[in-house]
Amino acid sequence: MKRTVEDKIVDFVVYSILAIVFIVTFYPFYYLIIISFNDGVDATLGGIYFWPREFTLVNYETLVVDPKWILAFFVSVARTVVGVILGVLCTSIVAYGLAKKDLMFKKFYFALFIIGMYVSGGIIPLYVVLRSLHLLNTFWVYVIPGMLNIFLLFIAISFFREIPKELEESAKIDGASDLRIFISVVLPISKPVLATMALFTGVGQWNAWLDSAYFVQNENLRTLTYKMMEVIQKANIPIDLQGPGAEYAAKVAQSTPYSLQITAMVISVVPIICVYPFLQKYFVKGATIGAVKG
Amino acid sequence: MKPSMQGSKETIYSLPKQSVWKRLKKQTYPQLFVLVGLIVLFIFQYLPMFGILMAFKDYSITSGIMGIFTSEWVGLKYFNQFFTDYQFEQIVRNTLAISLLKLVFTFPVPIILAIMLNEVRISAVKRIVQTTSYFPHFISWVVVAGLASIFLSTDIGIINEMLVKLGIVDEPISFLSDPDHFWGLAVMTAMWKEAGWWTIIFLAALSGVDPTLYEAAQIDGAGRLRRIWHITLPAIQGTIIVVLILAIGSLLGGGLVGSNFEQSFLLGNAVNSEKSQILQTYAFNMGLAQGRYSYATAIDLLQSIISVTLIFGSNWLAKKVTKTGLF
Repeated sequence: MKRTVEDKIVDFVVYSILAIVFIVTFYPFYYLIIISFNDGVDATLGGIYFWPREFTLVNYETLVVDPKWILAFFVSVARTVVGVILGVLCTSIVAYGLAKKDLMFKKFYFALFIIGMYVSGGIIPLYVVLRSLHLLNTFWVYVIPGMLNIFLLFIAISFFREIPKELEESAKIDGASDLRIFISVVLPISKPVLATMALFTGVGQWNAWLDSAYFVQNENLRTLTYKMMEVIQKANIPIDLQGPGAEYAAKVAQSTPYSLQITAMVISVVPIICVYPFLQKYFVKGATIGAVKG
Repeated sequence: MKPSMQGSKETIYSLPKQSVWKRLKKQTYPQLFVLVGLIVLFIFQYLPMFGILMAFKDYSITSGIMGIFTSEWVGLKYFNQFFTDYQFEQIVRNTLAISLLKLVFTFPVPIILAIMLNEVRISAVKRIVQTTSYFPHFISWVVVAGLASIFLSTDIGIINEMLVKLGIVDEPISFLSDPDHFWGLAVMTAMWKEAGWWTIIFLAALSGVDPTLYEAAQIDGAGRLRRIWHITLPAIQGTIIVVLILAIGSLLGGGLVGSNFEQSFLLGNAVNSEKSQILQTYAFNMGLAQGRYSYATAIDLLQSIISVTLIFGSNWLAKKVTKTGLF
């Protein structure tokens, strides 16, 4: 088929707009990276677009020796790891129980979970509950309240229902208990759904900041995202109201709060870039299944 | 994702004509598994639900969970307090304006993007654009707010630098502190972060379209735009309606692009608060920052009521108009 004038115009418009979309989403992250490798004082002069002008590792060195940032980074890693383990374990075991076709009171259970998904008391009552449970100001406040994700629960249920009965039955004949079957038969063949759950939970944990801001007062329990939020909030307020951010600048001549903020942002985005290929594989599938099935 | 499997209809647990007790005993483990979930659900979802009662009571934080039930009823005292608050109009106006602007401006974007990507014949281009466009979805709002503050600042922001150099403006625009720019800022950052993500869902709907349809239309002399209009759009019509219902249902939270709260919290500041303060941030500040728990719960509840009404309303409307709904 010959390309008509219309074809050429449509293609031109489509490719131009998609090129803009690509630049607008790609460039900001690229820019962060080049600034993070550039001398801080030099960066404030502007004019850096494609390549660091004064290449340096000082920004990273400054962050890496700052105990506050190190600690925040480890808190973030810890909450992500523990949160994923707890979340996947709890959600999958409950999903396995609910996936049983002849489970008694099933309708009633499902009703409870669906109501729980759509109705929430809001953050204030949750705060009251956490306070009474003595979870406030502990590491556990990051991982326990969210360990049962109802949305993921339903994805897992639909997966477990597809597992052929024969597999479980033969294990049963061999005398394995339900718990044993779940651990040694069901989980090993459920890797895709476990990966989906782990990624959802992990990204959520890594990016969370609100709980760190309001359920925790202990400075040693602050997460990386929270630390960044502090810096950014200060950055957006006119200079005369600024406080603590300036102390870094005094400490290290070549790093400015601005460069450090950018470097912290890079450090927070890099893990996501690392798991991105897996995210694409499982996350996108999970999202489309969730959406198509409504 | 799914292994193809055919399960037999028989089950291993229940045989007919057994007592409830016996049947339960046979499924002890599954029942225990579910019980774990019920306990977590009760503590973190249902207990806070009872907390809604706080909106109608004089609750004091020292009385703990039981205080929710034992404190004094005050009826609609806190609702009236909010309605007569001097910021009431401003907060409601901001909440509605930001939500509606987001719906109007961000809803069509993923649809247009999906249609465009569907027109691309070079698969590498398609893949690269898609992959980068939904990356921001996985980034924390904190990082997005940071990016906004870097790119839009008046002294070192690249955007202002470009605008000035191209002679579009004489003076750098103070995107981050001028209240009049906040609504636009909210719409643009939300679009940047989430448009690519929602494109996936429309593309998934398009992947099921039979390519011979396009070929047949081409042979019949339909040009590119006509093919888009008659084949592509009808193919995603159902998905558009479902997603629109979701968007309207979550309107006050920011619809598809969500995050009204996080944006107002992170990009809002003392300087632009007249345009950035919304129901959620106000309730949040009143409750967790100032300790006015009952008052904050009342405002939260108000928002929940509006949201639930919107969900059912939009679903009802969709059913009437197009015969499809979510439930």
